Amino acid sequence: MDMRMTKNRWLLAAGLVAFALLPWGLGVYHQHIMIVSLFYVMMAASWNLLAGYTGQVSFGHAAFAGIGAYASGILAAKAGVNPWVGVAAGTLLAAIFGFLVGILCLKLGGIYLSLTTLGFSEILHIIINNEYEITRGTMGLQVPGLLSEYSKLAYFYIFLAGALLTLGVVYRLIHSDLGLNFRAVQNDERAAASLGVDVVKVRVLAFTVSSALAGMAGALYGHYLLLITPQIPSLDQQFLVLSMTVIGGMGSFVGPVIGAFGLEILSEYIRAYGEYHVLAFGLVALAVARFAPRGMVGIFRSVWERRRQAAVHPSLPAESP
Amino acid sequence: MLALSITNGLVIGIIYALTALGVSLVVGIMNVINFAHGEFYILAGYFSYLFAHTMGLDPVVAMVLSIAAVFLIGIVVEYTLIRPTYGDDLYSLILTFILSIVMQSTFLLVFGPFPNKPPNWVKGATNVFGLFLYGNQRLAALIAGAAVIALFFAMLKLTWFGRMIRATSQDREMAELNGINTRRLNMLSFGMGCALAAAAGVILSPVFPVTPSAGVPVALTAFVCVVLGGMGSMWGCVAGGLVLGLVENLGAAFVSTGYKHVFMYLILILVLLIRPSGLFGRSET
Repeated sequence: MDMRMTKNRWLLAAGLVAFALLPWGLGVYHQHIMIVSLFYVMMAASWNLLAGYTGQVSFGHAAFAGIGAYASGILAAKAGVNPWVGVAAGTLLAAIFGFLVGILCLKLGGIYLSLTTLGFSEILHIIINNEYEITRGTMGLQVPGLLSEYSKLAYFYIFLAGALLTLGVVYRLIHSDLGLNFRAVQNDERAAASLGVDVVKVRVLAFTVSSALAGMAGALYGHYLLLITPQIPSLDQQFLVLSMTVIGGMGSFVGPVIGAFGLEILSEYIRAYGEYHVLAFGLVALAVARFAPRGMVGIFRSVWERRRQAAVHPSLPAESP
Repeated sequence: MLALSITNGLVIGIIYALTALGVSLVVGIMNVINFAHGEFYILAGYFSYLFAHTMGLDPVVAMVLSIAAVFLIGIVVEYTLIRPTYGDDLYSLILTFILSIVMQSTFLLVFGPFPNKPPNWVKGATNVFGLFLYGNQRLAALIAGAAVIALFFAMLKLTWFGRMIRATSQDREMAELNGINTRRLNMLSFGMGCALAAAAGVILSPVFPVTPSAGVPVALTAFVCVVLGGMGSMWGCVAGGLVLGLVENLGAAFVSTGYKHVFMYLILILVLLIRPSGLFGRSET
């Protein structure tokens, strides 16, 4: 087992290094796609922490990214604060809002969180459009970049670091005792509560961390685009993050990563034919959520399982239970 | 000013109640929130535009046809998408949310981003109480909306089907033990929820023209109504609608127009803080 573990680690490290070197051989356009994909990795992985591991659906994940983006952007553009300090402030603010929304509705259960986060994202929209003197409304707020010199390569590494940080936080959480509590709460709330798991606390914690990570992703993204528009906290964005997670595989660690890269790259290809990617992803996501709720990862796994069983017991019919 | 705001508030309130009834029905029976509720409302608006404007049918015939069509679509949606998720709230939330986005982008492809509007039923305006002029179409919509709400409550109280609905939303297992086919009832009530959204859509689309994404605020208002009135309580949902309509219009008149819709969410937050079961909800949540 140890041998295999070390081998896997080496493979992972080699893959990461290869991935980190990849943009050197790519043009500006493809570098951009990779950066956007990494943004979606952060978003989908943190949404998955909540939906996939605690079974709570937030429709305000894009709104929390918007809070991060606008907080950091306004601080940098209007008050001249260093963008990195702004990113930290944006993350913190998203965490605070996540905590408040969390304690407001998580003791009431799933449906209330979904409703309230949807309302939250609508409030944010109204505020952004009404306070156009500060946010510039739909015109968009111009913000400075993270670095004095604009370089796609540098942004790629910043986003790679952000994505690794997000994945690291998610991994640590789900592989800790807390992660065990997450799944216990998802599987059977009452049983978990009877064994001394503080269900509300676990959910609020997951929601706060997930919102903070979204805030960080949004703040970084705003300083990459240099223009913050209400598109960042929009429902379309929320939908993309959700379908990336659902199609990739909700409740699995790699699912959102696969979904984020797969859908972002695909949407660039579909865009050549017009704005059909939302409809196409929607139909695929509907089919996946309905017929393969574990997503691509689940499909791969069951195919692999079947093959392995067929290899071990050639006489058995190749069907998994 | 005050009289106008109150009248406006009551008109809008009846309309909110009408859109929220369908959500309340589906929550009460199936414990499912249909996030595509607003899109069914919009779909009915487009249907009635197509039937009445493009095909030249009588507006009333067009309205009935649109409601029937949306009812059937709702039944198909329940059968194909919602039924397999019973007992798993997570997936019904996700599925109806994706459905709402799919419907929005389909509307955008088919009808374009422009507002579409079926023809008015009546023309002109009436002087209400000698105080202010009010559009006749709005008054007609108000009367039609109130009539639909009254019909729905009569159905609920007086018919066998209504009794089944009340029994199932009170105690699902007990209803099953008494021989109610809750599976079929689920399907019918989801269809009816969509048909109620459609009724609101055809009544209101001459006043508020439909656009592909106009369903989102409609659905959100309906959700707030349902939470305010108490999940699954039909009377609560009507009361919630009236309260919301009044608060919004008084707020717009005396506090701020731009933040008109935020007052609604403030109420939502207050309800969640103080009385999560809503005005008429059962206290267990």
